Amino acid sequence: MSKYTEEDLEQELKTKEYEYGFYTDIESDTFAKGLNEDVVRAISKKKNEPKWMTDWRVEAFRVWEKMEEPDWANVNYPKPDFQELAYYSAPKVKPKLDSLDEVDPDLLETFKKLGISLEEQKRLANVAVDIVIDSVSVATTFKKTLGEKGIIFMPISEAIQEHPELVKKYLGTVVPTSDNFYAALNSAVFSDGSFCYIPKGVRCPMELSTYFRINEGGTGQFERTLVVADKGSYVSYLEGCTAPSRDENQLHAAVVELIALDDSEIKYSTVQNWYPGDAEGKGGVFNFVTKRAICETNAKVSWTQVETGSAVTWKYPSCILKGNNSVGEFYSIAVTNHYQQADTGTKMIHLGKNTKSTIISKGISAGKSQNSYRGLVHVGARAENARNFSQCDSLLMGNACGAHTFPYIEAKNKSAQIEHEATTSKIGEDQLFYCNQRGIDTEKAIALIVNGFSKEVLNKLPMEFAVEAQKLLEISLEGSVG
Amino acid sequence: MLKINNLHASIDDKSILKGLNIEVKAGEVHAIMGPNGAGKSTLANIVAGKEEYDVTEGVIELNGEDISELAPEERAHNGVFLSFQYPVEIPGVSVTNFIKTAINETRKAKGLEDMPAKDMLKMIREKSELLEIDRKFLSRSLNEGFSGGEKKRNEIFQMAMLEPKLAILDETDSGLDIDALRIVANGVNKLKSKDNAVIVITHYQRLLEYIVPDFVHVLHDGKIVKTGDASLALELEAKGYDWIKKEVNS
Amino acid sequence: MELKEKIVSSYLAFENDVDINSEIHDIRTEAFHNFEKLGFPTKKLEAWKYTSLNSVLKNDFSIFPNKENAIEFADVKKYFIHDIDTYKVVFIDGKYSSFLSDTTHDGKDVCLMSSALSKSKYKAVIENYFNKIAKQDNLTSLNTAFANEGAYIYIPKNVEVEKPIQIINFTTGNDAATMVQPRNLIVVEENAHVQIIERHQSLTENAVLTNVVTEIFSAKNSTVDYYKIQNDKDNASLVDNTYIEQKTNSVVSVHTFSFGGNITRNNLNFYQRGEHIDSILKGITIIEGKQHVDHHTLVHHIEPNCESHQDYKGIFDARSTGVFNGKVIVDKEAQKTNAYQQNNNVLISDKATINAKPQLEIFADDVKCSHGCTIGQLDEDALFYMQQRGIPKKEGKALLMYAFANTVLESVKIPEVKQRINKLIATKLGVNIGFDL
Repeated sequence: MSKYTEEDLEQELKTKEYEYGFYTDIESDTFAKGLNEDVVRAISKKKNEPKWMTDWRVEAFRVWEKMEEPDWANVNYPKPDFQELAYYSAPKVKPKLDSLDEVDPDLLETFKKLGISLEEQKRLANVAVDIVIDSVSVATTFKKTLGEKGIIFMPISEAIQEHPELVKKYLGTVVPTSDNFYAALNSAVFSDGSFCYIPKGVRCPMELSTYFRINEGGTGQFERTLVVADKGSYVSYLEGCTAPSRDENQLHAAVVELIALDDSEIKYSTVQNWYPGDAEGKGGVFNFVTKRAICETNAKVSWTQVETGSAVTWKYPSCILKGNNSVGEFYSIAVTNHYQQADTGTKMIHLGKNTKSTIISKGISAGKSQNSYRGLVHVGARAENARNFSQCDSLLMGNACGAHTFPYIEAKNKSAQIEHEATTSKIGEDQLFYCNQRGIDTEKAIALIVNGFSKEVLNKLPMEFAVEAQKLLEISLEGSVG
Repeated sequence: MLKINNLHASIDDKSILKGLNIEVKAGEVHAIMGPNGAGKSTLANIVAGKEEYDVTEGVIELNGEDISELAPEERAHNGVFLSFQYPVEIPGVSVTNFIKTAINETRKAKGLEDMPAKDMLKMIREKSELLEIDRKFLSRSLNEGFSGGEKKRNEIFQMAMLEPKLAILDETDSGLDIDALRIVANGVNKLKSKDNAVIVITHYQRLLEYIVPDFVHVLHDGKIVKTGDASLALELEAKGYDWIKKEVNS
Repeated sequence: MELKEKIVSSYLAFENDVDINSEIHDIRTEAFHNFEKLGFPTKKLEAWKYTSLNSVLKNDFSIFPNKENAIEFADVKKYFIHDIDTYKVVFIDGKYSSFLSDTTHDGKDVCLMSSALSKSKYKAVIENYFNKIAKQDNLTSLNTAFANEGAYIYIPKNVEVEKPIQIINFTTGNDAATMVQPRNLIVVEENAHVQIIERHQSLTENAVLTNVVTEIFSAKNSTVDYYKIQNDKDNASLVDNTYIEQKTNSVVSVHTFSFGGNITRNNLNFYQRGEHIDSILKGITIIEGKQHVDHHTLVHHIEPNCESHQDYKGIFDARSTGVFNGKVIVDKEAQKTNAYQQNNNVLISDKATINAKPQLEIFADDVKCSHGCTIGQLDEDALFYMQQRGIPKKEGKALLMYAFANTVLESVKIPEVKQRINKLIATKLGVNIGFDL
């Protein structure tokens, strides 16, 4: 009798190659390796930044120099040598884009491989895309449609030139330069990223999207995203990430700041598929990201993430619920396979009255991977009637992986209502047999069960992203490609 | 349709089936009855290809082809359907999504395209009406929080959707109240044709009032010890199994 | 002089009183150096993130209470479970009180650590079990360094101890702040059964710091039923370090009732070394004022087919602080583990705080592990309903709180202990009602 067991699946997983593993040969303009104050100034100069920006970076660099790399997360990795990285890498011929036809055909080919051809996105998804390749933004579409509504959506480097007052007002207000080691480093050397401003009362008519890629070997990517939703506005923002396979570890240390002013709402969705390293745990991206939102009165921020990539992931998209009646949500699926390590979760800081937060975290571990949920729910003394519901579920596949839950719950107000639940389970033999009996093979059955397990989170993603995310889940866990 | 010859099977070195023979032809309904532990569910699971059983001897043929080396899903693709005694819960996977996947995987195995969504919906509508299933029920997670009756009705609904050649109903009547039993039996009867066959595994004669068998087999200690027509079921109901045990032992 | 320095310099004096040419003393010395290196825990340690001992350590503790203090039984009777017959091992300021005790060597040993450590007839047990599972952390090392007195309980194979054993440590501290460090060893051999009640009671308004270490070994098929009653004075702090090793088919349950004291820290550690083990950890915490209770539990599932059940309920009034840090580790080999953890808390006052960290670390795939943690209030509707039926608000609240905590009491096997706890809860909640629901 032909048996297809979990062990077979594991075997197949071991031999699976990274689906997006290709390298586009575009000539790049890369700084020499190493980091010092001069490099920081050079980055700023290269980008023709105003003095306040240069000073801001230099100050961040000085803070960073004095800091030590943190090691409290439940992950193990060789500490990156920050002098062995190049801190700037731009496609040499920076395309000036009046139409997509002018884009470097190689680049377009890259996009096609990624399944994000701009035309298609334009046609199908009504998505405005800002693409950051190796830290430089190369294409922004839909600028005009957005412009009519007064929405600003552009590379942050351009925003620094064109809207310095806005950038200056909000940059670093949610994640201060001194916040943590990687946030400080990012502040000093970030090369580009996206800036988005939704004016008062405006509902952004389309999903805004940024796609990040690391192409150049031996570079670090430090992008910076700043989203400001002015009073009563709404925006849904998508972030996609991928990196081609490379033997050496690549460093990604992004900072995302969301500012949700009174009565506004920001939905921020991430599908992260950086190169996870090969089956032996060689290579892969170190993904050390600081993401934080501040919610003013009646504002709402939802973080949704599907994390399938990176060798090491270390990120906690958080909400500071400062305003009364503000709402924070965190929906996460983290899949780890082979030697991947993920330590991810959220912080919900309840400061205002009647604040609410919801945390749904689904961790799926396979291979020899380690998957940790780490979260904090804090209810301050003045946060009357704060509500939190957290649910952390883990699914283990095979017996060489680990699933961990580290929830911190701090309540200083008697009217707080906090509920935390966690469960751990495996895919049952009886579930697989039941699916098999109905004609569904084991591989497909696992995909089905994993999708069911992750459903509460997948449902939170915008349609176009949900399909991609489901595919990624299958790719990350399935044996056969395609 | 199904031909089993001298089947011996064991689990964890404990012998359960000890030389079982049965032949089921297209258009027939067979009932397999017998006391607890006789090996009824084991037989159903072995035909469906559950791997924890060791088949030590014997042949299982489906339409003249030996299926004992086939994986469970391959047997399903060949038209074997098992209505589970204890249907399994799969959280987060809706009934519709599950049945859609099952149908399309089966079609894929036969080299067919996916069933067009329109046809799928039409079929779901028809079959759910047949089993008096509320449409809302179809969007719930598979078997999660279902009552005993709902689970069994859902099994027969899937059977209706998959249109198997050979349906094995393992204790489908257990846990059903009289109304649900009638609905389920009615569904099975409507799905019956000259081209397919049904094996009903049951403890009691109750279900057989609704699904009338052509043959009734008594399974005892891993073997079929007596075969008769529908009247045998009535006799068993009246007299219990002990007389058969005695008959066998004498 | 800082307490640490004082302790370090007292070690020489301590050595005058014990046999320094023994293997035990080698263990002490090693532990002493460990403490010297580590010092007292600070909030920088993850395990002490939510509990600071700073305010306690400021006291000028006398480390060796030199006076023999006699107490009249009548004065302390209320601290005993006195309505049933029990064995008693009682200490006053760290010294054994033969007057208040009732020990035995009849078919089992219920006696003193000091004699167990020095007499040859106990040598084999001491060699096999003393300091074998206690961690090398700050405070356990400190206890080990000065380990000399406490309860020694040895229950041989197939012995079912006919009545409960009470271990009570009184501190009189009439002159000054007092620090005591009892050290208990409990060995329960195959198929033996024992019930133990432990209490630390201060009889003074002066500051008291108790740093107790208890090691419990539960062999194959044995049962240990352990109750910790913590209802101390406002100036008495307790660090309770309990380590339990279980073998196949053993059942150990520990109930911790924390109703008082200044800072109470319970480090309760279970190590499952065998199959089909059941570990039960339960607790009720009801505190007020500036009291602080920290439950730090660890259940380490090392082998397959075992269970653990944790259920901790907390009710926090005034400026009190509660901490629950429950850790479950399931090793790769520990398949078919069932581990459950519940922690439910009610905050009564605006100034009360609860910090919870229920963690799971799971390395095996075929396991059932869950934890639930809630923080909430009493059900206002239920309260109103009771008021409408004539039950005053205060009594209504008390009833609701009692019902909330009751799941923990259900598994208390000694009726007199249950009654006592019921009474303590009623007193704590300021009502005079029976809680026999």
